[in-house]
Amino acid sequence: MLLRYVVRRLVLMIPVAFGVTLLVFFSIHLVPGDPALSFLGDRATPAAVAALRHNWALDRPLPVQYWLFLSRLAHGNLGRSLFYQSSTMGLLSRHVVVTLLLLLYGAVGAVLFSIPLAALATIRPGGLADHAVRIIGMVGIGMPSFWVGIILIILFGLVVPVFPVAGYGDTWPAHLWALVLPGATIAVSIAPMLVRSLRASLIEALGSDFVAFARAKGVTPARVFVRYGLRNAAISAVNVLGVNIGFLVGGTVVIENVFALPGLGTLMVHSVLDRDFPVVQGITLVFAMLVVVVYLLTDIAHALLDPRVQLS
Amino acid sequence: MMAIPFAGGAARRLHRRRPVPRNLLAGGLVLGTIVCMALAAPLITAYGPTTQDLNNILAGPSAAHWLGTDELGRDVWSRLVYGARTDLSVAFVAVLSPFVIGTLLGATAGYLGGLIDALIMRAADVVVAFPFYVLVILLVFLLGPGARSIYIAITVVSWVSYARIVRGGTLVARNQEYVLAARVAGFSGPRILLRHIVPNVVTQAIVFAMSDIVLDILAIVTLGYLGLGIQPPAPDWGEMMANGQQFLTSHWQLSTIPGIAVVITGLGLSLLGDGIAELLGTG
Amino acid sequence: MGGAPRRKIGLTALLAAAALALGAQSGRAAGAPARGGTLVFARTGDILTLDPTQMTDNESIWTAENIYDTLYVASPDGKTLEPWLATGYTLSPDHLTWTFHLRKEVRFQNGRPMTSADVKFSIERVAAKASNPFAFINAAIASIDTPGPYTLVIRTKYPWAPLLADVALFANGVIPANYGGETEAQFFRHPIGTGPFMVKSWAKGSEVQLVANPYYWQKGKPYLAGVTFLSVPNDNTRRLQLQSGQVQVDEFPPFSMVSELNHMPGVRMTLFPSSRTDFLAFNEQHKPFADIHVRRAISYALNREAMVKAVLFGHGEPANAIISPALWGYDPNSPGIQYDLAKAKAELAQSSVPHGFSTTLIVGSGASTEALLGQIVQAELKPLGINVTLRQVDPNSEYTDIQNGKYDIAFNYDTTDIIDPDELISFSAMGGTTGQQTHALFTNYDNPEVDHWAEQAERTFDEARRHQLYDEVQVQVAKDAPLAFLYYSPFAYAYSRKVQGFDVYPTGNYHLEDVWLSH
Repeated sequence: MLLRYVVRRLVLMIPVAFGVTLLVFFSIHLVPGDPALSFLGDRATPAAVAALRHNWALDRPLPVQYWLFLSRLAHGNLGRSLFYQSSTMGLLSRHVVVTLLLLLYGAVGAVLFSIPLAALATIRPGGLADHAVRIIGMVGIGMPSFWVGIILIILFGLVVPVFPVAGYGDTWPAHLWALVLPGATIAVSIAPMLVRSLRASLIEALGSDFVAFARAKGVTPARVFVRYGLRNAAISAVNVLGVNIGFLVGGTVVIENVFALPGLGTLMVHSVLDRDFPVVQGITLVFAMLVVVVYLLTDIAHALLDPRVQLS
Repeated sequence: MMAIPFAGGAARRLHRRRPVPRNLLAGGLVLGTIVCMALAAPLITAYGPTTQDLNNILAGPSAAHWLGTDELGRDVWSRLVYGARTDLSVAFVAVLSPFVIGTLLGATAGYLGGLIDALIMRAADVVVAFPFYVLVILLVFLLGPGARSIYIAITVVSWVSYARIVRGGTLVARNQEYVLAARVAGFSGPRILLRHIVPNVVTQAIVFAMSDIVLDILAIVTLGYLGLGIQPPAPDWGEMMANGQQFLTSHWQLSTIPGIAVVITGLGLSLLGDGIAELLGTG
Repeated sequence: MGGAPRRKIGLTALLAAAALALGAQSGRAAGAPARGGTLVFARTGDILTLDPTQMTDNESIWTAENIYDTLYVASPDGKTLEPWLATGYTLSPDHLTWTFHLRKEVRFQNGRPMTSADVKFSIERVAAKASNPFAFINAAIASIDTPGPYTLVIRTKYPWAPLLADVALFANGVIPANYGGETEAQFFRHPIGTGPFMVKSWAKGSEVQLVANPYYWQKGKPYLAGVTFLSVPNDNTRRLQLQSGQVQVDEFPPFSMVSELNHMPGVRMTLFPSSRTDFLAFNEQHKPFADIHVRRAISYALNREAMVKAVLFGHGEPANAIISPALWGYDPNSPGIQYDLAKAKAELAQSSVPHGFSTTLIVGSGASTEALLGQIVQAELKPLGINVTLRQVDPNSEYTDIQNGKYDIAFNYDTTDIIDPDELISFSAMGGTTGQQTHALFTNYDNPEVDHWAEQAERTFDEARRHQLYDEVQVQVAKDAPLAFLYYSPFAYAYSRKVQGFDVYPTGNYHLEDVWLSH
């Protein structure tokens, strides 16, 4: 049953991804600006621009270009980046991994921050701790992430040099170590959203009837918290993170800039700014699939965690 | 607390005797102060937000300039206060249309179900599957930079959340007794939807809108960072933060102060949102 | 209008340039070079390609100049050319045939000896496709012959004085003939040249690693074992990396940080003279900019000293000529308009719009100096009754609009990749169908006299006469004011005091074979 649900959702993904790439394709070609000009820079002569546009098939009608894109896609080829002059797929795969790892660190860090904070806030809703937690949360969202990032670099890369100041490193252990500070920065900005919903669902869960019943039966508060509180916490955490994935992936662009990470956010913004069409198309497609998969996983996790929910 | 469904439920509930939640008061106070300051900007600032003084750049706080000056010698306090006008109004307008559009679409989808529901939800899926920043950047490019493009870009992207929330509430509400009663009484579909269901489910959307405003302010800040936000020389917290970046180690107040302004505004909105939720009984 | 003040500006710039160049070279005097070590460079972006005929971004270019060599190179002061892969040349009396004698002991990074066939192949690649960004630089070449393995004969279509400078361009960097037997794509995955460093790896988006070329033709060099270029777009981050020792060189710290970096322990901060000149460009196809009085009025109203203070934090000079003082051919007497509000009003009074008008200034987003400059210009033109609206667009749209003539006024700049003024002048001062057909940096300025002088300078081999012709061009362009010259800015670099021998040429590149790390 689960399998059928998953398959059905994945199949539904195809028209959605298709629709998205179509939209992006036409809109980016309608946007003013010319990648040939961007590429040739200040030595762009009219002859070179025309020749380059021809090489890149940009002088063909839009539907023809879209067809070329689709037929390449059918062979698993995402085309060549106009600027890097190499395979879009290769470029994307490296950058996607960096961003996904970053988000993973961020999500884990956020959850680790949020649970104790939310628990603290629910001890007495409306009390001092509750308001303090809310204020901390607002600071996390409100202070720009580049500010938080630079402070962390100064503290843990310079004053107490535990982590590298920036960069991605060139071996896997180096990669994982280098992602700690940027991951923490992301965690600080996600955590407030988590704390809010965790707090809300904790209060609801802990105030519910069967918890009162469990307490009456003599189950310790700690066990109550773990069995009922945490499970609800997990559900809402999964929900919040999943729903915001779209916002998050682009939002990493600032962190990637500060920490010099070759991530998807940066690639996304630069390729749009440069009008590197194949890369924009590739990113949009990959992103659309990523979002659908994340939503699917969110729904499945939700269903597994919350017996009240049924997958329709 | 269980909400007792009445026709025009929200309005009715307000008539019941219940103390005004502290959150609402606190949030209202904070936000009210900020709004008043923004409105009274010319009265509480000594300089215009765009008046340059190239002989006095990057000055520290002083009697003449309470928060110092920026890289063009403009008074930081003035830019902060006038920036509040820009950011608050953009954020407010940017929330209003997704709120209205999303609520209507979500209620329609939830109530009618079937093909309409499927179409609306698929459209929502497509929007959600779009990388947010690609979409916003593209729209800003297509429509030209400035506040108008930001409104449109945010509307196109954000209506989905409202639609989902309201649809969820509508799905639950349409099977409630008061709705069935209204149908039996012969009220038409749209009338039931607008006058009975929406007022009941809209409270959740209102609460969400409060946090959405914060997210919108942040999106505007990030766009300012990417150079795609409010056009210079209009003051805007995002642009102040982005320009202040290079002075982070020498004149940290240039980046930090607008950040604090965002934090305080967010705090006010968050308290307000929770207060409204408590008041309307869905807390 | 008063030669003395303007001469002072030029002289100051020259003196400053000389002082800086000397200051930079003093690093070389610190004892005998030590060998080994990897120099880590933090730069503002990543390279985009390793193919010298396809590169347009600085990162790629300055990296390539350490991997591939050219026949001649610019001298450290940027005013002359020195033999490099060639040991000398002879020019036929009709100035159409250049015979280059190649150095004999040069070997590629795989040990293979370099011969004239490799040079011919490499130079011909540059213009092989019309879409190649630097195809124009070899436009004068008619044919290349290789009568011997160490002799190269270039025949030009017409007498072409800038040929030596053109041949010194990075795009003409030498690679093995026929890609050494590989396909083009295969070759550029692991390219080789004759330069001091070869490519070890390239992680796209983050870093390029180079290692020393064991077969390098300058014996005893390079001193370094390797160089790593990191892509670190954030200014604060690069500075923190320098401070923590994670990198030894910080490329382009913002000018606001210069004094701080000057006082940072263990760090040296140097401003190297550059060929960059910044302008405010007028589109003569939009009213009222065809009126010379309007352009001159606006130019008079711009307080360049204030701009240098606000944008460059004092680390620059108001510009008086279309060419920078760092280049051969610069005219210190060029009467570029400087700030004088009274004269501005007088000019405007003589114009077609004596009471002012409204106009739009495009500024590129992201590059925050344009927004800053734009706001300064806006404020400075107000007293004339000129209302400037700023329109901020992304850099690509900005550039497209400028190229397509869809602007009133806009910021632009020029630099040069060769040390001959020809490239710069043909792009920025020549109008109509002359020059590179870029309509004088897209201003639609067209003065047939200027075109004529510039074309003559291309065909004349007498240095003194060429200098005279370029002087006349500069004076005329200063008077016609198709561009308001704003300022000259240097290349700012902050680097560890352990780095010795680091010198940046006016074209922006650096010879890393001269650099060594002290202990």
